[in-house]
Amino acid sequence: MRLVIARCTVDYEGRLTAHLPEAVRLVMVKADGCVAVHADGGAYKPLNWMNAPNTLREYDGLWEVTNPKGEKLVITMHEILADTTHDLGEDPGLQKDGVEAHLQELLAERPHVLEEGMELIRREYPTALGPVDMLCVDASGRTVAVEIKRRGEIDGVEQLARYVERLDLDPRLAPVRGILVAQLVSPQARTLAEARGLETREVDYDGLRQIESATPRLFEL
Amino acid sequence: MRIRAERDDLADIFSRANRAIGARTAIPVLQGLLCEVSGSNLWVTGTDHEMTVRASMEVEVMEEGRVVIPGRLLADAVRRMPAGQVTIGTSDGEVEIVGRGPRFSIRPLNTEDFPEIAESTGEGVEVDGEELAAAINQVVVAASTDTARPILTGVLFESSEEGLRLVATDSYRLAVRDLAGVGLEGTGLVPARGLRELPRTIGAAKITARLGEREAVFSSERGTLRLRLIEGSFPKYRSLVPESYPNQVIIKKEDVLEALGRVSLVAEDHIPVRLKLSDGGVDVTVTRQDVGGETEHIAGVYTGEQEEVTVAFNPRYLADGVGAVEGEDVRIQVIDGVRPSVVDGGDGSNFIYLLMPVRI
Repeated sequence: MRLVIARCTVDYEGRLTAHLPEAVRLVMVKADGCVAVHADGGAYKPLNWMNAPNTLREYDGLWEVTNPKGEKLVITMHEILADTTHDLGEDPGLQKDGVEAHLQELLAERPHVLEEGMELIRREYPTALGPVDMLCVDASGRTVAVEIKRRGEIDGVEQLARYVERLDLDPRLAPVRGILVAQLVSPQARTLAEARGLETREVDYDGLRQIESATPRLFEL
Repeated sequence: MRIRAERDDLADIFSRANRAIGARTAIPVLQGLLCEVSGSNLWVTGTDHEMTVRASMEVEVMEEGRVVIPGRLLADAVRRMPAGQVTIGTSDGEVEIVGRGPRFSIRPLNTEDFPEIAESTGEGVEVDGEELAAAINQVVVAASTDTARPILTGVLFESSEEGLRLVATDSYRLAVRDLAGVGLEGTGLVPARGLRELPRTIGAAKITARLGEREAVFSSERGTLRLRLIEGSFPKYRSLVPESYPNQVIIKKEDVLEALGRVSLVAEDHIPVRLKLSDGGVDVTVTRQDVGGETEHIAGVYTGEQEEVTVAFNPRYLADGVGAVEGEDVRIQVIDGVRPSVVDGGDGSNFIYLLMPVRI
């Protein structure tokens, strides 16, 4: 990963033409050849970028980035303020949202938080559409599919509905209840869940973490 | 295969064998009960590979044979028949269940696919069935249900010269129950889920138990329960139990459970219940910032090196431990608010429940 902070102007020619007037910017050159020009604002989106594969040619005070599609990015370097290169190594890839994964772990240890008498059958119960976060059984013996999200939105309800529909095909499990669990469930998701015959639960993640941290274990796992 | 028997007797044997049919397996034939008829007996087997229930009963036999019938449907169909005799038989590739009027026709599952269940081999030891079931109930409360940590979902069966010891822990608490004089040989980690089913499936006054290399087998006049042992090393629990406790209080079990019931109205799991042990008993306090609180005094006998000692627990874990104690009195032994406390029934108790206090 090469990071260059420079006073520069940028010109792009391709699907359209664009010009960035002279200013101090961050130019990122990634190991795979991607080039991105960032301003000091905005979360992630660069002002201009070129996806790999690219060819970067460096001339005196000028960088020229071209790709096979005929696009061209010209960065005129008026003043280079910093130029560093770091080897970031192998990336482990995107993992499941940390909060979701931890919430699942906490609820697996305390399924009764969702409902009195609730017991865990297993985590990541496999279905043909992918694993449902937790399969439980309620106090009356009915199977419960639990999908855990950080925020309960409409897509989470739809995902749970598909799992429940699938699990209902299994006579050992049917009829299956479905519960969407999240720190916060949006009103739209709540309405859709009700319409689909599903339930929603908001759980206190911080509270659950508090139990975990405040309840020391007898031994380390 | 064709048999006839009383509806209630058939419903009982099918529902017991059905307890082994769980939601864990994706193998279709394991949704079924293997029904085998020979001599004058019907043998019914249900299994999910981890747990197997096999039971038999005397029936009127018209034709011997074997068939695998979808378990839940079979049990429900028989249970909903009119009272009296029910006939179950195979005919033209289907299973007929006939009562006084209603007649079910059910497609059987492939008998060839049903796993071979090895017959029990080796000698077992006879134990008091009620005592074993009670001991199991006392320790399984401390077992984990999280299959991500399979070792903690089991109950350790550990034999010694004094007898048999059952141990379970989910890492927050640990329950130990000694069964003196039970000469079961060997050591093994038996799934708590299966053990919970023991009273319902084969519970009887006398049970023969055997611990093999791979499975634990429990038999009674009502049938056989086979549980595949969990592989792995159980935590070294002995060093967790402190040798002595300088402070203790003896209180009525019923009083504590009632108090904890009131506490639970205010406290969720993450709100600890505080116990102040001092002369005259225990002051129970729970406070929840956004709700309110509850306080009460439980009369009891306190003895201790300190004039008073305060300790806090997760109320659910404490209630589980107190509820598991046999007898009218409960003893809570405390070192301080940090090191493990013990809940038991007093001197000579064959059960201890070790519980970590919550930091306050």
